[in-house]
Amino acid sequence: MTAQIELTEVNKHYGAYHALKNINLSIAKGSFVALVGPSGCGKSTLLRSLAGLEKITAGRLTIAGDEMTSVPPRKRDIAMVFQSYALYPHMTVEENLVYPLRMRGVSKTEARARAQDVAGFTGLSGLLTRYPRQLSGGQRQRVAMGRAVIRSPKAFLFDEPLSNLDAALRVSMRKEIRALHDRLGATSVYVTHDQIEAMTMADHVVVMKDGVIEQQGAPLTLYDRPENRFVAGFIGSPAMNFVAAHGIDSASIALDLPGRPQIAVSRHGEAPLKAGQAVVAGLRPEHLRIVEGEGAGQTGIGRFTLPVRLIESTGSLTYLSLGETGEIALVEHGREQLRPGDRLTLSIDPALVHLFDPQTGRRV
Amino acid sequence: MSETWRNRLLLAVALGLAAVYLFPLYWMVVTSLKSGSAMFATPPSFWPSEPQWQTYAYVWQSRDVGRYLWNSLVIALGAVALVTLLGTGCAYVLARYRNVWIDIGLFLILMLQVLPASLMVTPIFVGFSQFGLLATPRLAVILAIAAKAMPFFVVLVRSTFMSVPAELEEAGLVDGNSRLGAFLFIVLPLARNGILVSAILIFMQAFGEFVYSKSMIQAAELQPASVGLNSFMGPNTNEWNNIMAFAAMYVGPILALFVLLQRRIVSGLTSGALK
Repeated sequence: MTAQIELTEVNKHYGAYHALKNINLSIAKGSFVALVGPSGCGKSTLLRSLAGLEKITAGRLTIAGDEMTSVPPRKRDIAMVFQSYALYPHMTVEENLVYPLRMRGVSKTEARARAQDVAGFTGLSGLLTRYPRQLSGGQRQRVAMGRAVIRSPKAFLFDEPLSNLDAALRVSMRKEIRALHDRLGATSVYVTHDQIEAMTMADHVVVMKDGVIEQQGAPLTLYDRPENRFVAGFIGSPAMNFVAAHGIDSASIALDLPGRPQIAVSRHGEAPLKAGQAVVAGLRPEHLRIVEGEGAGQTGIGRFTLPVRLIESTGSLTYLSLGETGEIALVEHGREQLRPGDRLTLSIDPALVHLFDPQTGRRV
Repeated sequence: MSETWRNRLLLAVALGLAAVYLFPLYWMVVTSLKSGSAMFATPPSFWPSEPQWQTYAYVWQSRDVGRYLWNSLVIALGAVALVTLLGTGCAYVLARYRNVWIDIGLFLILMLQVLPASLMVTPIFVGFSQFGLLATPRLAVILAIAAKAMPFFVVLVRSTFMSVPAELEEAGLVDGNSRLGAFLFIVLPLARNGILVSAILIFMQAFGEFVYSKSMIQAAELQPASVGLNSFMGPNTNEWNNIMAFAAMYVGPILALFVLLQRRIVSGLTSGALK
């Protein structure tokens, strides 16, 4: 895979504020990359730097092998879908669609033919003569997409394009955007604060925080092997439980829960645990198992018992809040005949326990 | 008091105030149509029994009203063109950038607005005569009015530009525009209403301008209607019907313009011109 977009040691300063810190990122041709992180993490700044709407203060950017570090946006041959869609209110849908083509000297007839074509596969065929204010949110979203795909740019940039849509529409547009990406064989960079969007749409997820790339990789790699506590807590829903613990021997830890239960952990090439080493154990809510029948009610090796605080059921899934303050979350398929105050005995597969350093937050 | 009665009362108050406000206008038209004796009759009649329409033709001929109106038009259009051309760019910059220098610039612009024309006219007169601008007095007046009206225009148009989302401009840049192209093809069409309304307000202001014209234009054939009307009135004037006819012909065009564009002006001023 050749790199379509390559960022080398990119830095961005706003006065004294350091918005992007030594970003190194290689985006393969044809891939769908999601930039994800909490607000203020620099993901939008990074995207705008790719578009040329922000000037990077140090480092280098190439698109399709060409040096683009200080090239104005119009010469970068990229298309962008904005959060507010940024449709030109004084132009009809068709005029909006053909605008990028007309700007590049495509003839009127050819541009109109392309607009018809794009309108066909984005579901805008009957709407070409309307103005943006006469469209619904979803339709505006499609126009914004259409305006991006009408020419074949070197990359598509999406800046939280679904955040103004309602939940149901968001799920369907998610699939449409991904389908469009596959159909066009394009390279896409997609900014979102929603980790579900990032996980479901992207081939490669980049998790950012405070202007730094915390981890990047395939979505499931991030889920299965988070490199640090931030990524572990950010990826996955509901968020991972973090429990203070310390090492017993090289393959087991004692959790800082009532009764000091001990659980086994398996190591995959990491440094062996030392006895007494302080760690933070990460237990995903969906990985905790309820022990029923024999052995229920016992706290000991591999088991721990917690009281139920809150039960929320969606029908297919049951969310439980456990512990004295409800600090431990658990997700179960199906329905549970439980009441607040009941005590549950839990276990977890040793391979699914993540351990982090309490100070640095790094995986140990 | 019920809702309807309160509304009726408020309507009556509004109509009363409007009548008080519009009475001089009515009196101008009525007086211009009265004959010499009817003008000074006591009690005054509120409706001319024999409208003297020929007064208008007489005043138009004898006072050369056409020439005065033409001068007013030249001065007003010149000032509007200058203000629009220079002020639009200025307002755009002040709308798009945010820093200390912009704040200082904005403050200075608002300060200029505070200074009254009667105070500014002397230094402007001296300065213009040094530059030899008084040889082209109408141009001199255009410059002076433009300088006076500029802050007002910049402040109004700036808020119009601020209502145009920056993302639209960025989309324009990504879609293949240069900075200038994005301004001309995306921002300007969207700010058009606000600019138009501000320009019309300045036109009406410049059309009635008096202080600068009176002090800078000595030649009667270059004077605008405001000065012409003033020179009509002497200390012993008694031809009020002729003066009122002049005044009616002078304010007629402005009034017509305002009535025609009234809805647009109000909506442009209140809505920020987008959507």
